[in-house]
Amino acid sequence: MLLSYLNIAWKVLLRRKFFTAISLFGISFTLMILLVVYALFDFTVGPQMPEKRTDRLLFARSMYIWGPTTENQSSPSYSFLEHHIRPLRTPEKVSISTGTGTGVAYVGNQKLKLDQKYTDAEFWQVLDFDFVEGRPYSASEVRDAAHVAVLNETTARRYFGADRGVLGRTLVTDEVRYQVVGVVRDVPATRDFTYADVWLPITTGTQDIHNPEYMGECMAILLARTPQDVPAVQQEFAQAVARAPLPTDVYKWCKEVRLYAGSLLATHVRDFMDSDEPDPGVGRFTRVGAGLLGLFMLLPALSLININISRIRERSSEIGVRKAFGATSGALVRQFLIENIFLTLLGGVLGLGLAAGALHLLNSSDLIAYTEFGLNGRVFGGAVLAVLFFGILSGVYPAYKMSKLQAVKALKGESTPA
Amino acid sequence: MIRHLFTLIWNRRRANFLLIAEVFLAFVVLFVVGSMLVYNQQNYRTPLGFGYAHVWRVDLDPGTQPKASYLPTVRQVQALLRAMPEVVAVGRSSSNTPFSGSSNGSPVSTPGQKIVVEHVSGHSLEDPLREVLELPLVAGRWFDHRDDATTLRPAVLTRDLAQRLFAGQSPLGQVVHRNDEDLRIVGLVEQFRPDGDLAEPRPAIFLRVNPQDTTLNEANMLLLRVRPGAGAELERRMSTAILATAKGWNVSITALPEQRAAQLKRTLTPLVALGLVCGFLILNVALGLFGVLWQTINQRRAELGVRRALGATAAAISGQVLGEILVITTFGLVLGLLVAVQFPLLGVFNIKAGVYGTAMALATVGLYALATACALYPSRLAAGIQPAVALREE
Repeated sequence: MLLSYLNIAWKVLLRRKFFTAISLFGISFTLMILLVVYALFDFTVGPQMPEKRTDRLLFARSMYIWGPTTENQSSPSYSFLEHHIRPLRTPEKVSISTGTGTGVAYVGNQKLKLDQKYTDAEFWQVLDFDFVEGRPYSASEVRDAAHVAVLNETTARRYFGADRGVLGRTLVTDEVRYQVVGVVRDVPATRDFTYADVWLPITTGTQDIHNPEYMGECMAILLARTPQDVPAVQQEFAQAVARAPLPTDVYKWCKEVRLYAGSLLATHVRDFMDSDEPDPGVGRFTRVGAGLLGLFMLLPALSLININISRIRERSSEIGVRKAFGATSGALVRQFLIENIFLTLLGGVLGLGLAAGALHLLNSSDLIAYTEFGLNGRVFGGAVLAVLFFGILSGVYPAYKMSKLQAVKALKGESTPA
Repeated sequence: MIRHLFTLIWNRRRANFLLIAEVFLAFVVLFVVGSMLVYNQQNYRTPLGFGYAHVWRVDLDPGTQPKASYLPTVRQVQALLRAMPEVVAVGRSSSNTPFSGSSNGSPVSTPGQKIVVEHVSGHSLEDPLREVLELPLVAGRWFDHRDDATTLRPAVLTRDLAQRLFAGQSPLGQVVHRNDEDLRIVGLVEQFRPDGDLAEPRPAIFLRVNPQDTTLNEANMLLLRVRPGAGAELERRMSTAILATAKGWNVSITALPEQRAAQLKRTLTPLVALGLVCGFLILNVALGLFGVLWQTINQRRAELGVRRALGATAAAISGQVLGEILVITTFGLVLGLLVAVQFPLLGVFNIKAGVYGTAMALATVGLYALATACALYPSRLAAGIQPAVALREE
């Protein structure tokens, strides 16, 4: 039965090639855009190198010194994290690092701007970098403020002219000499919390790690022992922040220090929504996002519905014959839905191809550094879901309209339902 | 004739409902894109009010150095830069330098808070900054040594700020109030837009940094003008020389044109992406309309054949087809305008009503053009129907 439906669908598609082309264009471009957006989303907050264990990782970056009328927002300082967050017992490991800053290196007279991140040794243990050669720097190197550096492949190639065999060579950035101990695969710039060109021990940076001021330029990354442990870690984290003495010597109006540990998605959403509440607003973000996606899909869906209705009209005699021979409305609706889903699936395949092309363009355009957007299992799954949704959305109303045709009128060639 | 068409469409409103909905959504899309285009284009056309082509910004971060040595070190660095033959002028500025993405907004008022202008971009500058940024004064004078001994700190305003504070009077010599401080106006500039080419223009005020000032807090950035042709080689020499003077500091030198390009890219990328998506949506609507019209003509061959047989000209037939689609467009358009007019009425996003008005006009014209383009081929098809052929098919 299904096979014969598909057979009919194929014949119908071939009969009116222009209409098929219009429909396929609409479907495939809609899906392409959805897929590109989803791939951007997935490559920003999904489990990718170096944050592969996203279900166990927690991030804390935005700190709010809160008072009833005034509020200051910044990143926490090294000493705040060191004294209040590092001693936490529930997480397996706590890492403290700075945000990404810029350093300048020269190759001859050519200026090379390097995004630099200063980290501790735990940074390499909570995250999973792909080392091309060499090793991360150790806890003792960080303690002794050893001038050692880990580079990404591109920087090694730009600075030394080769991405292999650069271990032990010297990199001069901001007129400070560092010895290269490791080279990692490029981290895309969408990985906001971990991305850099050069990673350096936090003790060698220009910032004062003993400055007791709460506001600074650091962030913490926590690794829970198991995904189930995450709420416990968050609870202990909240207690530790609440226990920290208020910095009323600097901010007299301060009544509360707010700093939260959230998942990769939650932390991004918090930054985006600029929320200082315990709830980062993921729910609202999802609702608004879903609403916008729905609105975006509405227009192509309407267009497809209009075309579908026109196409059904020209098949009214076929419908009349089937009804006259006893086909129920349900059977007709089913047949038409299957035809439409078949069409959208076809468009989906095209859309996947287009999306792969668009992502490739995006990667080579250098718009975001070191991106390797692509289609993976999750993106593919998202595509299938979107196709089915779209197919049903645009097929139900025309199919219902068609099934309402009366056999006598349909046979006469009239196309408006009674 | 037109009333007749309206009646025709109105009688078939249920069948045309989906088409009208599609046109309505297309109008909303056109309106949103149009608003953004008009808004950004208007901002882009407003002059920046300063020159940036040969201006560099030197960012000095003292890091862990003792605070007391900040200012003396910065003075040494300034002297060193001024001595370089390629440098025309150098001076300190607050950190909200042009295109930096860092901004400032404080209220400025007349004495006694009679008139308050909110969100004025405040800039603390040293005297040489006029030469660095090539600020053209339209009235009064720039800061100079005559201001060293005055009791009130001197300030230079943009013309729109002066007009809002002292409508009709000369602002020169008047006193304004900003952040618990009284300032004496000594000059006016036409415009100053450090937020960038695409940002909404807003009023600005310049405050003088006194040479006797002993803290670095207020103006911790260096801006300098170099001679045309200076490039990476000078930048490297500068950076090495500064680091030799300011040991252990963090120095970064950026050319303002570079910062401007980066800022434009950051602002334009989402706009271009949105424009592409909307372009696709409109193309989709156009193809859909075209397909539906074509199909309708094929179904109405008999009706159109009868009209031809009764003496209607080809032009009358194609006029009818075109007229029908334009009426449908009008229905969708009126719905869309009802939605669009809410934006200026409710003052969403604080954008001038004129922007929305222009966008509405653009979207209306665009939509009619789209509908006409889609209907051209089907209407010619309809006009070409031969009554003898069409009526025989029945």
